[in-house]
Amino acid sequence: MAEKEMKLIVDGKRLDGRKFDELREIKMEVNVLERTMGSAYVEWGNNKVLAGVHGPREFHPKFLRDPRKAILTCTYNMAAFSVDDRKRPGPDRRSVEISKVISDALSSVAVLEKYPNTGIDVFVEVLQADAGTRCVSIVAASLALANSGVPMKDLVSACASGKIDGEIVLDLMKEEDNYGECDLPVAISPRRGDILLLQMDGNLTREEYTKAYNLAVEGAKKVYGMQKKTLLDSMVNLEEGE
Amino acid sequence: MFKVEDREFVIPGQLVGENVCCTENCLNEDDKVYSTIQGMVRVKGNSGKIIPSSGVYTPKRDDVVIGLVVEVLECGWLVDINSPYMSVMMGEEATRNVMEEDLSRYYDIGDKISVKIIRVNEVYDFDLIKPRKLNEGLIINVNPKRIPRVVGKRRSMLEILRKKTGCNIMVGQNGRIWIKSDRPDDVGLAVKAIKKIEREAQTSGLTNRIENMLDNNWGK
Repeated sequence: MAEKEMKLIVDGKRLDGRKFDELREIKMEVNVLERTMGSAYVEWGNNKVLAGVHGPREFHPKFLRDPRKAILTCTYNMAAFSVDDRKRPGPDRRSVEISKVISDALSSVAVLEKYPNTGIDVFVEVLQADAGTRCVSIVAASLALANSGVPMKDLVSACASGKIDGEIVLDLMKEEDNYGECDLPVAISPRRGDILLLQMDGNLTREEYTKAYNLAVEGAKKVYGMQKKTLLDSMVNLEEGE
Repeated sequence: MFKVEDREFVIPGQLVGENVCCTENCLNEDDKVYSTIQGMVRVKGNSGKIIPSSGVYTPKRDDVVIGLVVEVLECGWLVDINSPYMSVMMGEEATRNVMEEDLSRYYDIGDKISVKIIRVNEVYDFDLIKPRKLNEGLIINVNPKRIPRVVGKRRSMLEILRKKTGCNIMVGQNGRIWIKSDRPDDVGLAVKAIKKIEREAQTSGLTNRIENMLDNNWGK
């Protein structure tokens, strides 16, 4: 993030013409896969993410089972073709970290006590990456989990904000993420406002942080509206379907 | 006070009402009741419930399910009942002297059986009794949460299916349905009808529509 070669704000507008507090275009869909209990596909700007849930099932190895609750594991994986140069397939430091933060965020909203001794597997595949994939992945994973019928106290919504050219902006895209000064992904549970994920890459002053955090929460609430609409629409379609 | 109407769709975390009696798939916080699943609300007076649209089968007492024998053990059979939990059916269900006989004589790996679930506890350990082998026939899988619709109120839907298609149908509460008939066409018709019920489970007046559909196809 140190090198600064690009001008990211031109004439008070960002590179793709967005305002400072504007999200990229978001498209969501649930029930896209046949073999899973629940699934979701999210397009967020140039990000394309597919998530699938294998509902509560027998957990192995047997000695790690928890007789009080289910164990939710998430696997985040980037496709080899998801970035400009080939991404070496397989888990690396970054995907292991994101898998962990997603499963932690989902575990705190899912009512895992209902299925003791079982395991719930959430798989997230990033088909195309364009900055902010951990937020997109959380949104897709929470939609897929809701779609699978696992009880949840709330959905999880996420959005990132950051600092580019000294300005606090919402939802960074690739160039802004690479050449900007700071990135702040936030995941919340919208009903109660609990923070489920908060990471910061870069430096912000206290005032800037407050501003960036509030901006990200506002964005996440907008995303929540879209998630809600997607889930409700999927059930209406179910009724009309021939 | 309910904040939603009868037959309205809800999503996890949505407010259902305040000071109401909601028993299934809900979360109570202070006086407020929130839904925990994606489904449809049914309201009756001051009480309501939320019918899930998807999910896995969890064993319940006195349910009759269709199981698949996955392993023959020394003292019984390991039975898969299409749920996250497996159970061992004791050898005593089929024979008196378990230790001396070869249990695969009765039920072998891959056999389909109908069994009854009893004695379920908090962590879903349960026992299986009254096995009955399901020879021949076809087993189809449907979403376990749609099974109540396939059976219908006071088994009305199931009676219609049996009468109009002429098939022998057995519904397991775990989402497996066994269909047997001498005529393949009848089986095809029954499968078509059941798939329609599964797809349109949340609509009203389904029983009449299925009856009409079966009447019309019957003439062809």
